[in-house]
Amino acid sequence: MSNDKKNLGAVSRRSLIKGLGAASVLPMVSACGTMTGRGSADARVVVIGGGFGGATAAKYLKRGNPNLDVTLVEPAEVFYTCPFSNLYLGGIREMNEIAHNYDELKDVYGVQVIHQLAQDVDPVAHTVTLGDGTTLIYDKLVMSPGIDFRWNEIEGYDQAAPQYAPHAWQAGEQTRLLRRQLEGMDDGGVFVLVAPDNPFRCPPGPYERASMVAHYFSQHKPNSKVLILDAKDNFSKQGLFTAGWNEFYGNRIEWVGLSGDGRVMRVDAVRREVETEFGTLHQADVLNVVPPQKAGMIAERAGVTDDSGWVPVNPATFAATMADDIYVVGDATIAAPMPKSGFSASSQGKVAAAAIIAEVAGETPPPAYFTNTCYSLIAPDYGISVAAIYKTDSSGEVEVTSSGLSPAEADRSTRALEAQYARGWYEAIAQDTWGTRY
Amino acid sequence: MRKIQFALLFALSVLLAGAAVADGSGWDRHDAVREAVGDATPQLGQLRMQMPSVSEDGSAVPLEISIDHPMTDGDYIESIRVFATANPNPEVVDFYLTPLMGRAEVSSRVRVNESQTLYAVAHSSSGDVFVASSDVRVTVGGCLMTSDDDIAEFGQPRVAPPRNLAAGQPGEVRTLVTHPMETGLREGPDGELLPRRMIDTLIVEFEGDTVLTVKMHTAVSENPYMRFFMAPETSGNAVFRWTEEESGDTVEEQMAFNLS
Repeated sequence: MSNDKKNLGAVSRRSLIKGLGAASVLPMVSACGTMTGRGSADARVVVIGGGFGGATAAKYLKRGNPNLDVTLVEPAEVFYTCPFSNLYLGGIREMNEIAHNYDELKDVYGVQVIHQLAQDVDPVAHTVTLGDGTTLIYDKLVMSPGIDFRWNEIEGYDQAAPQYAPHAWQAGEQTRLLRRQLEGMDDGGVFVLVAPDNPFRCPPGPYERASMVAHYFSQHKPNSKVLILDAKDNFSKQGLFTAGWNEFYGNRIEWVGLSGDGRVMRVDAVRREVETEFGTLHQADVLNVVPPQKAGMIAERAGVTDDSGWVPVNPATFAATMADDIYVVGDATIAAPMPKSGFSASSQGKVAAAAIIAEVAGETPPPAYFTNTCYSLIAPDYGISVAAIYKTDSSGEVEVTSSGLSPAEADRSTRALEAQYARGWYEAIAQDTWGTRY
Repeated sequence: MRKIQFALLFALSVLLAGAAVADGSGWDRHDAVREAVGDATPQLGQLRMQMPSVSEDGSAVPLEISIDHPMTDGDYIESIRVFATANPNPEVVDFYLTPLMGRAEVSSRVRVNESQTLYAVAHSSSGDVFVASSDVRVTVGGCLMTSDDDIAEFGQPRVAPPRNLAAGQPGEVRTLVTHPMETGLREGPDGELLPRRMIDTLIVEFEGDTVLTVKMHTAVSENPYMRFFMAPETSGNAVFRWTEEESGDTVEEQMAFNLS
């Protein structure tokens, strides 16, 4: 974390001093040389997506070089985070506590924010077309498009299905719908959570969700159960989750993995019925399907996804390998061993911003370091975490330099502290990304 | 200046990595693959081997191999063998096919110890040999640290029959059995090597005729999963039999196939 900030600080000072000079000495550098109508700005940067990756990139671009013209394109005026949306399902946090706006980016950092959907990207002409037909011209483009779903990869889970069986894997209306369904469910009902195979957004997310729903049941619907049907045999922080579940929820949570016939092949969203790989039928009272995923639609439009559906990047800068002057950060990228998390996206957004600032100034991007922590709450005062620091190795791949996991054996005060750290982490990253203060 | 050289080197290495083509070439650099190919000159580009390019869990990496090839008594694919050249034991799994399958397509889940190229070698009954390969990068996701859970016992066979079965038309069959597939190479919690305990084969028969024989090696994942096709001409009974090596214990599942 502190390394990250130091590097960025150093770059921004250098860029400020040398930026304009370098650009005029090296007119061939990047597409800047061909741009017209740029005014006095060093370069035009368009950022698509106002989540953890995009909002962070926009802020750090302006912070590092105020003379960049930065435009953020994000359809929502209020952004709800997936992190801590499970706490809303558990009844221990409200939606306004996971809501963020773009006032600080506009007012403090001078980012131009356009609330439109980015419809198309022309990587050759260097243009972005918005939903209202506006065309933006960029020298450098940052995309943080998040995820889209692979509709019908689970048979029957199509675009119409989430209104009956929510995914709630993009926070907002879907999260509210899922909570309403849980509240409307009779005591004694079964909540079925269908979890996907890797890779997917937020690896510990389904298991934190199961914990939070079980917590809600323990308070309000003591005879109700949680059944997780999983398309894999191992999951994030499995030992810690399992131990916590035993401690708090006994047999209220049941997990069925791939080898136990947990992979769901077909969903009837209206009847809330699912069928597994070997033909077992499960009837849910509330059905939550976290479907298989791919990079957000605009990444595909820009032609930067490969046949996996995700975006290959150069991890030293997060430049897309399949197009020039396009940087992609966050869940849409192939960045393993970094997980698809808000924290990773933020860290990658800072690396991409530093790389763009350096390139505009005609300099070599600084070495890239990344940090990530995934906190999960099993109960309101019982937190667990996994953390790592990453860098790029000599072959250009991301490697873990150090990492840690909550201890398997720990007393309640340690878990309570971690729950406190989780809240602190959320407040810190919300302030860093959107300037939200609690 | 040094910085620029560094950047150039880096760009070059990225380009090279991106250019690695997984069409089976390079097979002759590996003894086990060369032995499986034999004296024939293999054809590249026809056998398809699909694996995820990045896998976050090397203990169960999906594997699918297929080829457009007749599956008639006169000319059929009779074997598909898979090799992971950087695993402690390069043999992964061998499929011995018959015309009763109707389609030369098989899938499983396998262990890939480290990032490497895997190879598949297929022989046809008429003597043609096909080779394919797949580059897999294995990385443990930061949020994906796992723990050892309970050790699986041998049992609980599961078979999913084809949904609609028409005479002679290949229908998809999926099988799973619970088994630890302990390699004998892994240490237990006390630091001692855990004794080897493996399934040797899965044999599938239809009305007494062998449809498919799968020979498993140490790289087949715990709780072996196999997906393949069957194309029976008549209704009848299928038997799926898993046999453990050493003990010879078997687990069997029978299923009636009723043609529509």
